[in-house]
Amino acid sequence: MSGPTLYVALVAFGVVVGVASGLLGVGGGTLVVPFLTLAVGFSQHSAEATSLLVILPTAIAGSLALRQRGVGDLGLALRFGVVGAAGSVLGALLALALPASTLKIVFAVFVGAVGLRLARDGLRPDKQVGA
Amino acid sequence: MRVTLGNPATSRRARLQALGLDSKLLAIGVGGGVLSGLLGVGGGIVMVPLLVLWAGYAQRKAHALSLGAIIPISVAGIATYGVAGEVRWWQAVGLAAGSIVGARIGAGLLARIDERVLKVVFGTFLVGVAALLGARG
Repeated sequence: MSGPTLYVALVAFGVVVGVASGLLGVGGGTLVVPFLTLAVGFSQHSAEATSLLVILPTAIAGSLALRQRGVGDLGLALRFGVVGAAGSVLGALLALALPASTLKIVFAVFVGAVGLRLARDGLRPDKQVGA
Repeated sequence: MRVTLGNPATSRRARLQALGLDSKLLAIGVGGGVLSGLLGVGGGIVMVPLLVLWAGYAQRKAHALSLGAIIPISVAGIATYGVAGEVRWWQAVGLAAGSIVGARIGAGLLARIDERVLKVVFGTFLVGVAALLGARG
């Protein structure tokens, strides 16, 4: 894929990612990273870096929507996130220090674990989701 | 005699409390951040359950807290990968444009869909993706 075809595919896949995350709260990086490596041919590092840039506007849009509805405390969330940002720099530096093949295996284990947890949640009949 | 004034641990706690944070939030934030930077994901998959089960937040509040935290967390990750020249800007813009539209559609579908079936189907799909990634790794 190249040029305009690739761009149409990217936007279309973006819609799929958005629907999945809107429905399940999962799907940002979990879907974008495998799509970019398997379908578009990105390196694992570039896919992860680009995925974070897709996640950012989605998190902003979601947070603003929640604030309009009066859910949560955005100020506290941002302060909480600034603490997390230190961890994020550390994580990214660790990823950059790892070879792509190792990082890909670590990522695969993560996606598998997320998948198993979702399936388990879906199969558990008695679980009530808090309002 | 116990002298707490000027105790570094106590004053650190006081500073955290002034920001509305405690040691549990600190640990969850750093943990979610490391996962986000390492794997290029938001980190909510780890932060939300910990906020609910360990820190005692209600589900909706935990969700909002995690989503807001992803903003500074992803900015820091993007900056770090950006310095290394790994960010592909225009591909991200295309995906993000679609994703923002899709998120609205997904949120609208939420009330009309059997979430359990969807979780099983999507979870199974992700396990397949993991196997494919492992095979190509």
